Amino acid sequence: MAFQRRQYWGWIFVLPAVLFFALFSYFPIINSFIASFHAKDILSLKAPKFIGFQNYIYIFTSKDFLNSIKATLYFAVGCFIPLVSVSLFMATIVVSLRRFPKVQNVFKMIYYSPAIVSGVVSATIWLLIFDPRGLANQWLNFLANNPTPVDFKWLALPAMARLSTIIIYFWKYVGYFVIIYFAGLVSIPTSLYEVAEIDGASAWKKFWRITVPLLKPTIEFVLIVAFIQCIRTFSIQYVFVQSGSPREPINVVSLNIYTTAMQYHSLGRSTAMSVSLFCFILIFTIVQLRIYRSERVSYV
Amino acid sequence: MKLVSMLLVAALLLAGGTLLLASPGQEPTGPVELIQWTHEDPNRTPLEEKWIAEFQQQNPNVTVTRETSPSGKIQEKVLTAFAAMKGPDIFNMEAEDEWQYIVGERVAPVDLDAIGYSSYKALQNDYLPVTFDGALYEGKIYGLPLEITNWCIYLNDKYYREVGLDPARDYPKTWEQMITVAEKLTLREGEVIKRRGFDFRYPYYLSFWVPMANQLGGKVLSADGKSAAVNSSAWIKLLQYMADWGPNGRNLGSPTYTNARKTFNRDDGSVAMCISGLYQYDRIKAENEAFLPEVSIVPYPRFKDAVNKNGSAVYGHYYMVNASSSPAAQLWAWKLTMYFSSHVEEMLDQIGLTIPSKKLLETAVYKNKKFADVFIEDMATAKFVMTHEKGPQIQDVLKEMVEGVMLSNVAPAEAARRGQEKIDDILRQ
Amino acid sequence: MLVLIGRLKKNLRLIVSIIVLILFAVAILVPIVFMLISSVKHPLDVFEFPFRWIPRRLHFYNYLQAIAGNDQKYYFIRNTFNSLFMAGSVMCLNVLMASAAGYGLTKFRFKGRQVVFVLILATMMIPFETIMIPLLMLTIRLRIQDSYMGLIFPIMLTAFAVFLMRQSILTVPDDYIDSARIDGAGELRIFFSIIFPSVRPTAVTLAILVFREAWDNLIWPLIVVQSEKYKTLPLYIIRFLDEKYTNEAALMAVAVLATIPMFVLFLAFSRYFIGEGILTGAKG
Repeated sequence: MAFQRRQYWGWIFVLPAVLFFALFSYFPIINSFIASFHAKDILSLKAPKFIGFQNYIYIFTSKDFLNSIKATLYFAVGCFIPLVSVSLFMATIVVSLRRFPKVQNVFKMIYYSPAIVSGVVSATIWLLIFDPRGLANQWLNFLANNPTPVDFKWLALPAMARLSTIIIYFWKYVGYFVIIYFAGLVSIPTSLYEVAEIDGASAWKKFWRITVPLLKPTIEFVLIVAFIQCIRTFSIQYVFVQSGSPREPINVVSLNIYTTAMQYHSLGRSTAMSVSLFCFILIFTIVQLRIYRSERVSYV
Repeated sequence: MKLVSMLLVAALLLAGGTLLLASPGQEPTGPVELIQWTHEDPNRTPLEEKWIAEFQQQNPNVTVTRETSPSGKIQEKVLTAFAAMKGPDIFNMEAEDEWQYIVGERVAPVDLDAIGYSSYKALQNDYLPVTFDGALYEGKIYGLPLEITNWCIYLNDKYYREVGLDPARDYPKTWEQMITVAEKLTLREGEVIKRRGFDFRYPYYLSFWVPMANQLGGKVLSADGKSAAVNSSAWIKLLQYMADWGPNGRNLGSPTYTNARKTFNRDDGSVAMCISGLYQYDRIKAENEAFLPEVSIVPYPRFKDAVNKNGSAVYGHYYMVNASSSPAAQLWAWKLTMYFSSHVEEMLDQIGLTIPSKKLLETAVYKNKKFADVFIEDMATAKFVMTHEKGPQIQDVLKEMVEGVMLSNVAPAEAARRGQEKIDDILRQ
Repeated sequence: MLVLIGRLKKNLRLIVSIIVLILFAVAILVPIVFMLISSVKHPLDVFEFPFRWIPRRLHFYNYLQAIAGNDQKYYFIRNTFNSLFMAGSVMCLNVLMASAAGYGLTKFRFKGRQVVFVLILATMMIPFETIMIPLLMLTIRLRIQDSYMGLIFPIMLTAFAVFLMRQSILTVPDDYIDSARIDGAGELRIFFSIIFPSVRPTAVTLAILVFREAWDNLIWPLIVVQSEKYKTLPLYIIRFLDEKYTNEAALMAVAVLATIPMFVLFLAFSRYFIGEGILTGAKG
C-alpha cells in the first residue's frame, strides 16, 4: 500500500516539467501548425482566415524563402565542415601533449574562450574588424603586399558577407568542439597506438584505422549537433543586417521567420516557414540516426 | 430540478453582473490617463513635456505619461504592444510605417468635434495641400501632423573652399553635377574612402530614391496597383547611376559606410554633404554650434533631362490615436495632440520641425528661419511618400535592387527584372 | 642510432605541434585582444592605419559612455541587472525542475513513466525558432509579455537538462534512498538531502551551461521585451549599435563590460567548462 502511494510521488516530481513542456513546447508547436494554415495579420483584429496550404505554396514559390533556404544551406555547410574537421585536427594535437596536462588545459581554455563571449558581442567585435578601415583589410593587404589598399568588402559583397558570418561562427565554436573531441579522444587507450607504432604504422594510418572508428560516437554526435546549430543561426546575421549589410545573401531561415512576423506582421507565413524548418531538422536527424545505427564499432 | 434552477440563478447573476460592470465608459470630465509613445529627439522632448504640463494644468482631469524609444526600434515596440492589446493611446512613426495601422483599423479617424473643425476638408484647407496625404484613407484623416518633412542637401562650406569651390555657386543642381562635385570633395586612401563628398540616405529608399525615379518618369507600381513597374528604362537608368556612384564605379560612397547624416554634424572630415531635413539644422545648433556658420542648404537636385521636376518625397510623422482606447481617452488624446500640433511656430523655431499650416507661412518666425524657404519651395513640387500596406516589404526590395548594383555587381537591367519579380511576389500575398 | 633518430622525430613532432597550437591560439585570441585594446583607445584611433597594438593615447572615458549610453540614461545598469536576474533565475529553475523530473522518472515506477520520458525527449527536436512566434502570442495571452515572467518562464527548462540529470540520478544507489525512507524521511527531504548532493558535479555543470546560454540569448528577449526597463544586455548592445551617434570605442567598452561576468565565471569554474562534464555532450 505504502509502496503504491509512494509511487505517486513520481508524478509529483515530474509534474512541473510536464506542465512546462505541455504549455511552452507542445502548445506552441501545435499552434504553429494550426497558424500556418491560416492567414492572420498580427496587427489586425480580424479573426484568422483558414486558407489551407496557401501559405506553404506561397513560400515555396517565392524567391524570398527559396533564397533563405539557399542562404541557410550555404552557411550551414560552409561552416560546419571546417568546424568539425579543424576542431578534430586541433584536438588530436592537444591530446598528443599527453605529458603536459597543464599545457593541455591552457590551450583548451584559450580555444574555448570565444564561446564565453556572447553572440552579439562577437558579432560587434568582428563588425569592426571587417569594417573597410579595420584589421581584416589591413592585414590581408599587408600579406598580399598590395601597393594601394584594397577593400575586400567583407560586409558588402554577398560572397564576402557569407564568408564573414561563417568566420565568426567558426571562431566562436571551434574551441567548443575541440573540447568535445578531446574528451572522446582521451578515452581511447594509448596502448592501441603503441602497438600500432611498433607495427610501423604512420600517423595517417593510426588516425584512420584507430582514432576515427573508435571516435565514431563522438563524431556522429558532433556532426548532428554542429549541423543543426548552424542551421539555426540567428544573432550574427541579425547584427549584420542591422548594421547595413545586404540582407539577401545572409537571410537565413530564422532571420526570415523573425522579419516576416515582427516587421511584415504575417503570422501565417512566418509559422509556415518555422514549421518547414522543424520538418527539415526532424527528417535530417532521423535519417542521420538511421545511418549511424547501421554502423557500430567497438574495440573489444 | 435543483440543477436547472441553480443554472438559471447563475445565468441571471452573470447577466446582471455584466450589465453592472460594463460601465458606459469614462465620462468626459472624469479622470483620464493618457500614454504617449514617441521617438527620441532631444530637441523636441523638453518642448512636448512643457506642453504636457500646460495641458494638464488647463485640464486637471487628464494625466499624461510620455515614453521615448530610439527611432529604429519604435515600430516593433508599438507592433507588439498593439498585438497584445496594450498599445499606447497616442503614438507616432514615419507615415509609411503608420499606414498599416490605418488599414488594419487600429487607429481612430480624427475627432473633428474635439478639435473644432466642421469637416476633413476644412482641416486640410488650413495647411499646404500635401500635408495630410500620408494619413488620408477612404476620405477620412487619421492623424495630426507632428512634422511634415522633405529633404534638401546640406553643405559643409569649409570643405568646399578647401578644394577651391564656392559653396554659394558651385553646388550641384543636377544629379549629374552631384557626381562631379562630390568627386572633387572626396578624399581616398587607395580604395577606402576617408571623406565622402556626398552620400545618400540609405535605408530610406521610398523617401529619397523613388523621387529620383519619378524625376526620370518611373513609378513603383502600375496604375491599378496590381503589379510592379520597376522594370522600365527610367529605373534601369537610375540603377546605372547608383552603380556608377558605388564601390564598383566611381567609388563615391556605399551603404556600408556610416550614414552621412550621422557624422555630418561633427564636422570631422568624414563627409562633405548630406541629405536631410530642416530639423538637422537645429540639431547641429544643439550639438556643434561652432560649425553652424559653415553650413548651407541647397535644393534637392534634379536629373538634367527630368520628366518631372519633383523634389525629394515628403514624409511625415502623424500623431495617431489608438482605436481601442476608451472613448473619453480618445477624445482627450485628440485634444492633446491638436495642442501639440498647433504650436507650429515653436516647432519650427526651436526644433526645425515643419508643420506646414498656412498660418505658419505668414509668421515672422518662418520668414526669419534660415533656409526654411529652401525646403518649402521644394515641398511645393513634391509628392507624399508612397503609402501602401506592403510598404516596408517593397522598400526592402528597393534596398536589394540598389545594393545589388552597388555592391554585388548585378547589372542594372537584371536588378530591375529581379525587383519586378519580387514586388509582384509581394503583391500576390 | 635508430633510437636517436626516433627520439629526434618525436621531439620534432612535439615542437611542430606546439607551434601549430600556438599559432591557432594567437588567431583565436586576436579578436578578444582587439576588443580590449580598442575599448581604451580614443574613438578616432580605433580605425587608425596602421593599427597600433599599443594605443597612442588612452581614453577611459569610453567606459563612462558605455554605462551612460548615448542618451545618458544609464540603461546599462538596469539591463545588466536584468541579464543577471534572468540568467540566474533560469539557471536555478532549470536545475531544480530538471532534477525533480529526472528523479521522478528514474526512482519511481508509475504508469506512463516511459511515455512521459519519450514525450519530454521529443521536444529536443523542436527548434526554438519554430515556436518563438506562437510563444510570443502565448505570453501576450497570459499577459506576461514585456515582463520578467515573460522573459524567464518560457525558457526555464530544456529537455536536454532533464536528460542530463536523469542520467546522473540513475547512478545514485537505490539503497541510500530506501534506507532513508526506512528512517522515516519524507520524499521532499530525500530529494533535497540525498539526491541533490549526489549529483552535484552534474548539477553544477548543467547550471553553468544554462546560465551561459541564458546570458547569451538574443532572440527571445528581442521578441518578448519592448520596454527599456526589462531589456537584457544583448539588447542594450543592439541599441548602442543602432543609435545615431555610434562610437566604436565605446561600443568595445560595452563589449568588455558585457563579457566580464561570464569571464569571471569561466575562470572560477573552468574545469566545468572544459572538463569531463562536457563528455555527455552539451547543447551549444
